Amino acid sequence: MSTIAPAAVKPLPEWRRFRFPQSLYKYGAVLGAAGFIWWSLDFLRIDVERLPGILGRMFDVLSERYWPPQVSRVMESGYIEAVVDTFQMSYVATVVGILIAIPLAWFGSFNMTPSRRYLYPVARMIVMSCRSVHEMIWTILLVAIVGFGMLPGTLAMTMFCIGFSGKLLAEAIEAIRNGPVEAIRASGANELQVFVFAVLPQVRVAWTGIAIYTWDVVFRAATVVGFFGAGGMGHYLRESVQRVESQEVAAIVLSIILIVFAAELVSAWIRARISRAIA
Amino acid sequence: MSAILEVRDLRVRYSAGKEVLKGINFTVRSDDFLAIIGPSGSGKSTLIRCVNRLVEPNAGEILFEGRDLLRLGESEMRAARRNIGMIFQEFNLIERLSVIDNVLTGRLGYTGTWRSLFRAYTRDDIRNAIRLLDRVGLIEHLDKRADQLSGGQRQRVGIARALIQDPKMLLVDEPTSSLDPKIAREVMGLIREIAREFGVPVLCNIHDVNLALEYCTRVIGLQDGIKRFDGAPAEIDKRVLADIYAMETL
Amino acid sequence: MRAGAADLTAYDLHADQISAWRNRSRRMRYGTYFMVAALIAWSVEAIVIGDTDWDRISWASMFKSARQFMDVDFSILGSLLTPAIETALMATLGTLLGLVLAVPVAWLGAANISPLGKFSYAFGRALMTMSRSVHELVWALIFVAAVGLGALAGVLAMGIRSIGFISKTVAEAIEDVNPGPVEAMRAVGANRFQVLLFGILPQVIPVFIGNVIFEWDVNIRRSTIMGLVGAGGLGLALHRQMSAYNYGGVATVLLVILLLIIAGEIASYLARRAVI
Repeated sequence: MSTIAPAAVKPLPEWRRFRFPQSLYKYGAVLGAAGFIWWSLDFLRIDVERLPGILGRMFDVLSERYWPPQVSRVMESGYIEAVVDTFQMSYVATVVGILIAIPLAWFGSFNMTPSRRYLYPVARMIVMSCRSVHEMIWTILLVAIVGFGMLPGTLAMTMFCIGFSGKLLAEAIEAIRNGPVEAIRASGANELQVFVFAVLPQVRVAWTGIAIYTWDVVFRAATVVGFFGAGGMGHYLRESVQRVESQEVAAIVLSIILIVFAAELVSAWIRARISRAIA
Repeated sequence: MSAILEVRDLRVRYSAGKEVLKGINFTVRSDDFLAIIGPSGSGKSTLIRCVNRLVEPNAGEILFEGRDLLRLGESEMRAARRNIGMIFQEFNLIERLSVIDNVLTGRLGYTGTWRSLFRAYTRDDIRNAIRLLDRVGLIEHLDKRADQLSGGQRQRVGIARALIQDPKMLLVDEPTSSLDPKIAREVMGLIREIAREFGVPVLCNIHDVNLALEYCTRVIGLQDGIKRFDGAPAEIDKRVLADIYAMETL
Repeated sequence: MRAGAADLTAYDLHADQISAWRNRSRRMRYGTYFMVAALIAWSVEAIVIGDTDWDRISWASMFKSARQFMDVDFSILGSLLTPAIETALMATLGTLLGLVLAVPVAWLGAANISPLGKFSYAFGRALMTMSRSVHELVWALIFVAAVGLGALAGVLAMGIRSIGFISKTVAEAIEDVNPGPVEAMRAVGANRFQVLLFGILPQVIPVFIGNVIFEWDVNIRRSTIMGLVGAGGLGLALHRQMSAYNYGGVATVLLVILLLIIAGEIASYLARRAVI
């Protein structure tokens, strides 16, 4: 390289990539992470040495006992009915859940809540509580209280839906422009009117997308709630698992995957139609 | 004076059908500071990107140090790019990396894949990076993140990055369009100084005609994909400008 | 200037067009509302009337069941410490596994850098969808069948489940990347790997880290139910208490789960603040 004369008279600094103590922190962090993983594996009683063998045998185990799938199981009329039941549960749960989530999202949105001191934290806590509890735990609880069947399943899915959509709907409200809000407020409208005329039109598009996405997720969960006695396809899954009919289990799992795929395609199609209609 | 770059009958057509460069011919000599002027849409940006094949031309020859770049395979082209330094309008630094790491990325063409994963550049590379940063006046900002610098400072990092490649030619794409007028002159001056110091010819896109005339030794005027002028800055008068910028004077 | 007869006809035509369009879209909207309502009615009928045995349940019995949860059985609290730690560790390892596997999937599923063009892109997207379409409980069942009972099945289930979200968001970030630095890296003569490493990756890292933290948070929830099908953690304790009909014990486990989730929320909030 052609010689470059230093511009200043003073000597140029020496530079190494990792100077003390930054190098210590970096190496310490890497070692710490590795150590943590090692300890976790030990605590969880996962035998690292046998791991490659277990993973290698995974496919053998599945192909021996679970293939070919027992398709007749999913063709039973009871199962077809269960699929319809699953759809109905997810549908009601989504509609009711979102209807409940809308006011919660309104109160739980930092910019548009009518009362930041009382309504906001309460609404946020309700939504967070619904979110924190796993949908299967809701299912177990409600089956214990209400009994078996589609009702507890629907109620559980409703709680799940409130938690899931409440957060997303509130985030959409927090992303609106303040201009129309100010304008409606200035005309003397009360908070509800402000919500209806300034907020709703702005979030309409986002909320429609959220609603459809929520149904998608709720349906996916609804396919499994029957496992704990709450109606739907999951019941058949549990039966086959308990009877150790592995090929039936395979058939049911595959049918769940296919049906969820179909539901996703349908919801994607609906979303595309709606965005074209709105655009 | 030997010709370091010879462009012959360069043609570029975008897939939409519009021909952007319609047969460009020119030469860059080893002591040139060549400015390309012309209205927007004339093809200046495309032309400069063809030289190091960031854009693939449809026809023509680009002879760099006697070799036709358009015939080179992928790895040969990468090797050729090492000898061509490029300075960008939007600086194109790696925002999250420090100033010195940004300059060092100029040596990636000389650094193996495995070593570059750990950013293990040679000691010579690091020493040269420091010297270059001192030369462009950024020695106090060695370890600062690139996104903490001002526009003018960022462009100077870009200059250092281009020069650490030890290039045989510099491609400069609108170096001052994103800068204040005062900073723009400083940057142009720095580019000219350094190019002379290192003995590197410059091919420079510029849309500010006054700036071009002040700093360059030769001018090429482009309009609508065709070369309309090729000569010394002194030869440029109102008539020539009207000819090049025909559409803009409207 | 008064409008001439011809202009009035033009206005009338235009007004007619608008009201015709309004009527059509109004009909479409009401049609959609009607369909939605009809589906609700049909579904509610099936759930509430068809399926529910109103003779057996009553407000009294439900109240009684609910009250049983109120007698929290604190005696089992000590035995829940180990499962709680197990649950947290399973979630962490599962997230780590997920993020490691998500990197190549994101690479495949990003339209601008997918190595084999449309084919690898479609394959990558299919992997993302598959990971997300299968409920974590089903993944847990699959892995318990494949590798046996215990925490390993849970870690694998959550790892596979997490691939979808992380790789999808990272792939979208890759597709939205600023092309300038990529151009600069090509111009210095970097090879394809170096262009990826220096041009694209640094831009994608903030999104990646943020989403990993989010997914870790979600995985703590998922981890609590893994034990219900034998994959380790608090779920197993929950299952045991339920099987013994010890509703007080169930309540205890649920409280511990809630505490764990709150701890996870705080941790992920702090982690997010530290990074962004």
